[in-house]
Amino acid sequence: MPQHLKRLIGVFVIFILFFLVMRQVLRPKSFGELGHFRADAIYENTLRPMHYAVADSCTKCHKDIRSDKDLGFHAKLKCEVCHGPALKHATFANKFKNKQLPDSLVLYKPGERKDCAVCHQRNAARIKITFDTINTTMIHQVDIMKHHPVDPKTNAALKCIDCHNPHQP
Amino acid sequence: MEDHLQNLYEVLSKVDGYVYPNEIELNWSILIVLYPYITGLVAGAFILASLERIFKVKILKPTYGIALLTAFSFMLVATMPLVSHLGKPQRAYEIMITPHSSSAMAIFGFVYLWYLMVVLFLELWFDYRRDMVIWANETTGFKRFMYKVLSLGTTDISPKAVALDDKIGYIITVIGVPSAFLLHGYVGFIFGSIKANPWWSTVLMPVIFLFSAMVSGIALVMLVYIVLTKIRKQLIDMDCLDTIAKYLFYILLIDFALEGLDQIHRIYVAEESFEALHKLVFGKLFYSLFIFQGLLGTIVPILTLGTLQFYKPRPVIRKTIYTILGGLVLMGIFFMRWNVVIGGQLFSKSFYGYTSFKTSLIGIEGYGMAIIWLIVPFLILSFLLWLLPPWKKIETSHD
Ligand code: HEC
Ligand code: HEC
Ligand code: HEC
Ligand code: HEC
Repeated sequence: MPQHLKRLIGVFVIFILFFLVMRQVLRPKSFGELGHFRADAIYENTLRPMHYAVADSCTKCHKDIRSDKDLGFHAKLKCEVCHGPALKHATFANKFKNKQLPDSLVLYKPGERKDCAVCHQRNAARIKITFDTINTTMIHQVDIMKHHPVDPKTNAALKCIDCHNPHQP
Repeated sequence: MEDHLQNLYEVLSKVDGYVYPNEIELNWSILIVLYPYITGLVAGAFILASLERIFKVKILKPTYGIALLTAFSFMLVATMPLVSHLGKPQRAYEIMITPHSSSAMAIFGFVYLWYLMVVLFLELWFDYRRDMVIWANETTGFKRFMYKVLSLGTTDISPKAVALDDKIGYIITVIGVPSAFLLHGYVGFIFGSIKANPWWSTVLMPVIFLFSAMVSGIALVMLVYIVLTKIRKQLIDMDCLDTIAKYLFYILLIDFALEGLDQIHRIYVAEESFEALHKLVFGKLFYSLFIFQGLLGTIVPILTLGTLQFYKPRPVIRKTIYTILGGLVLMGIFFMRWNVVIGGQLFSKSFYGYTSFKTSLIGIEGYGMAIIWLIVPFLILSFLLWLLPPWKKIETSHD
């Protein structure tokens, strides 16, 4: 075999050997233990901080609101859908009963028009199509811009919660 | 939390109708448009080179080396759009060390390496070895060093060794043609096999990708050739240019026919997705599909090239026309990739709504990044043309 072919093949062999060695070196430690993935990934994910408390955890301290809500149209909505992740709050808020909550425990109170719009704004696609009827009542929709924007007497801008109780609309 | 809701509100404002939550943002951005575009240029340029080598179209001789170097430069960059698209680019190498045979994407690293190392690198190496040995003796400094390293310090340029090189080069090209088909067919295959997306899921996809790849590669080499002779103040070989244009015309026709077939099939079958796609095509994709891809990128070049097959104006005029057409075709194919990649993500799989695509200039997934990855191959190509000028090679007949 001519000399240049030998060298070329040599280079390729070195390249492939290098690849095989690196493959062993770089392969993540726990790869393949449980399947075609890094088993440690599962463990690492369990270490991530949690943000949401469970739906029922609020009842312990906010029984009144819970029972209000259960009677209204929003009965099926979980508290954290509107107030945001509240695990920290649910764990530590007790210490501040009847006191000002520290900033880190204060939850968002979605009282603006746009907050209700997230679910109630008119949206032609959010309809339920059943066998022969088009049912627009999956979620009751209003036109946010036109549905009672101002008070006719005082001309002051109205928020949705001025008329509707968010917990029992 | 305030930010979160604000964000949600803004996000929803770019949506029409009903889309599933995971369809609002496009996951495959402009960089994923670039990736099939660049691999297409590689495959196309290589196939043009193989026309000269295997199919013995001798008249294309002046572009053989240019086509190979172009393919090689673009191939070196082909993965970069993908890597910069990754959330964690530093993990890109893992695709090579943990491959899985059931995932087409996980095989990509090997398809890529095969084509880069076994086809393009080896073909160039065998083609240039004798010249590198000679040049190493004629030059000094950096160039000499590069030639020495690249030729692996070999010195044997006896006719026997050169004849062997030529033979092996030929075999590699023969292997290279199906490999080029594999490389680009593979890219189309990935899109074509996504069953859930009616805009992508067609068995014709790999074939369409392949032919559009040839179209774009040929147009690119044609442009590079025109520009290069201009820069070197050489007389352009008009016969060669006409022949390239002729091949461009033929392949463009096939490509057009295939894509037409795909669309006609879609219209005729009119599956439940049809309404949604119809709206998409005449709405958000109207300009990029009908104007840029269809009219400017396909119809105008086909008609002009077709006319030029019968009626031949003066060479200067023809050259100008070819330059413009090359640009148009390259743009057309870019928009073809755009329409496939972006278009396929604009409609909801519920067929009830659409989202829109916005990207910024800066940032790792912005237009800026895309432009960088389109410029870099040309820098590499300039370097390679300086290091390995095809026009300074000793003539070999490749028989
Ligand atoms: C351990 C008892 C406890 C639990 C569990 C709890 N909270 Fe509270 N929450 C409080 C206290 C104490 C306050 C302070 C003000 C008050 O006493 O009314 C408060 C206040 C609030 C406020 C009003 C904040 C403000 O700025 O006015 C909201 C909203 C709220 N909680 C939502 C929730 C939600 C949603 C959950 C369930 C994930 C929850 N809470 C669970 C004790 C609790
Ligand atoms: C539809 C969204 C929504 C849901 C669901 C909801 N809240 Fe509220 N909540 C609000 C709004 C809006 C306010 C602010 C009312 C205001 O400012 O008058 C509020 C205020 C509060 C307050 C402050 C005290 C008050 O009465 O003004 C507490 C406590 C509270 N919510 C607890 C809860 C708990 C517990 C749940 C679950 C049982 C819940 N919320 C579910 C929207 C909601
Ligand atoms: C997470 C989604 C969501 C948000 C946010 C939300 N709602 Fe609702 N709302 C619902 C659902 C679900 C229902 C029950 C289905 C229905 O009757 O429309 C409902 C029902 C209602 C109804 C009764 C409609 C009827 O049937 O007559 C009113 C009024 C209402 N909401 C007002 C509000 C107001 C005011 C806000 C803002 C504080 C708000 N909602 C925020 C989901 C939401
Ligand atoms: C001026 C008081 C007022 C304000 C402010 C107001 N609403 Fe109402 N809303 C009403 C009354 C009264 C009704 C029942 C009669 C009707 O359908 O208009 C109603 C009905 C509704 C319904 C049920 C519609 C249906 O089809 O049955 C929804 C949902 C609703 N409102 C949501 C909202 C939202 C969201 C906002 C804030 C953007 C809001 N409302 C602001 C007074 C108000």
